[in-house]
Amino acid sequence: MITFGEGNLRIPRFGKPVYIVAGGMTDFRKTYPEKATEELAAEALNMASLENDLKVSMPEFKRLVNFCVYSQFADHFGDQLLAAARVHDALGFDPLGNFEVKTGGATGGHAVLAGAMAVASGYADVVPVVGWERMDEVSTRQGNSYIASAACKNFESELGWMYASYYALMAQRYLYENQVPRETLAKITVKNHRYACSSPFSQNPMKLTEQEVLENKMVSDPLSFLECCLMSTGAAALVLADEAMAFKLTDRPVRLAAICSGTHTLRTADRRPMAVLRLPHEPENLYRDRKWDWPGFSAFLATRMAAYLAYQMAGIGNPLEELDLLETHDAFTISDIQTYEDIGLRPYGRGREFIESGEAYLGGKLPTNLSGGLLGAMHAVGATGIFQIVEVLWQLQDKWAKFHADPKMWERFGKVMPGDIENLQVPNARRGAAISHAGTGSHVTMAILERA
Amino acid sequence: MSVELVAPGCEVLNLSPLVIENVKDYFHVHTYGGLTRFFEGLRASRLLGTRCTNRACEEHRIWLPPRAYCPDCLRPMEWVEAPQRGEIFTHTTVEYPGSNFKLSTPCPLISVSLEGVCTKMMSYLKDGRPEIGMKIRAWFRTENPTHTILDLAWVPA
Repeated sequence: MITFGEGNLRIPRFGKPVYIVAGGMTDFRKTYPEKATEELAAEALNMASLENDLKVSMPEFKRLVNFCVYSQFADHFGDQLLAAARVHDALGFDPLGNFEVKTGGATGGHAVLAGAMAVASGYADVVPVVGWERMDEVSTRQGNSYIASAACKNFESELGWMYASYYALMAQRYLYENQVPRETLAKITVKNHRYACSSPFSQNPMKLTEQEVLENKMVSDPLSFLECCLMSTGAAALVLADEAMAFKLTDRPVRLAAICSGTHTLRTADRRPMAVLRLPHEPENLYRDRKWDWPGFSAFLATRMAAYLAYQMAGIGNPLEELDLLETHDAFTISDIQTYEDIGLRPYGRGREFIESGEAYLGGKLPTNLSGGLLGAMHAVGATGIFQIVEVLWQLQDKWAKFHADPKMWERFGKVMPGDIENLQVPNARRGAAISHAGTGSHVTMAILERA
Repeated sequence: MSVELVAPGCEVLNLSPLVIENVKDYFHVHTYGGLTRFFEGLRASRLLGTRCTNRACEEHRIWLPPRAYCPDCLRPMEWVEAPQRGEIFTHTTVEYPGSNFKLSTPCPLISVSLEGVCTKMMSYLKDGRPEIGMKIRAWFRTENPTHTILDLAWVPA
């Protein structure tokens, strides 16, 4: 679709407000043989229900649940079809209804969207959303091959069996059109690895220098190893509720003001030029003199679509002014810059300024990926979109320290809390957003959370 | 009646937690369905795309990769010859591919711009170093074909 019909851009509405009352997660590891998948899911849900100051006990909480949503990217990885049935059973929710959502890397975001639809419609009033990925049963090379089987098997997968290469094609073109210094790209991965150092959940905390990133080996030029996301095993969980149940369960519910979805062709190749879909705060003539095709290989229409809908659903005029924190799907350094533009933090072609200006850091205008992101903390695909929203939830509840700066939380995962841990709580955070993203932008959700 | 083990068991990789090998040894089949003509074409050094025949449709350019049905109007498409000369729209060089990759590395992947084609097909540059804007022509693996998209590549024009 390259022109929109009258129904295509309708702003989504919830039939009634949707709240998030609790979140939890495991730590994330490259390999996690100590725990079976359903044990990881149970730990994440346990943290959500037992450690989020809910006003009901665990048995009471379970008696309130009426529907469940599960999130796992690829049956290939865990080698267990219908893994959700095993998890649902292990969590003791039978015979309640459930379904499992699958939209690639954006599976977590879409699972939350599905749970939100259940609550907003009145179908259910307490809905756990639990996601996981077990990526440690195969080698990294085999894992990359599995992930690339989410590309078009006739015309793409054989060409590298490697998503980093499909992103690298976009990255090379983006750099050609926009001339971003490699130092700017390095800053993104340095930042996210640094923030990962202050989280007990992180798989890959590192204090990097830009120079180390610049000297790092290429996976597929222009992307080096340190500019590519992790492959993780772990789980994350959220509890959604309607207004009455939210206030029964917690004193600090957070409202899910919007969660919206966009898509684009699975093959980057098939993205025909069209007029830029302008966000509400972008002036009419902003792209009048644009030199390059849009979205081409340098923008994600799916992300732009999700943002276009989400901002209007949540009543946001200017995201940079009105959001207090952001979690992006930083699968690769350069795709993060593309995302800054797609969600309107800068006009197309100027995304680099968001990181160069310092706005993306704690203390800046819109701190981004304080969780450590996919580069530093985790990418256990089915868990990722949920993990991001859990991190935003805790920030908005002023509970960052409770979950990140307690030595006991580090000990739980066999770690010692670093002496130089940074306090990453965003002061007085009221509104945050999270982007869940699949393929080379085949599916994207944007969630906007607001302190109730 | 007595039941015996007739296939090998699993090797133990770690005792606690118990981790065993889980070896996969099977094959799938795969059909190209309505896109068969494209892959047949490669063996005859022909680059075939598809085009919508519906006059009311907004897209009349060639689709490559081809599609059986037009995504804009869902009518069946017709097969047409696509140009075999074009230029590199973007590129990368694969250094560490995933398992099952059948080409040698480093391998330059490219996206190809072709006149009259509305898409930018992914492929690889068989010879030379890729650059954006570089003029290229199609190359076909007619000997020992793989019957996959690897039977199409590009070389400097």
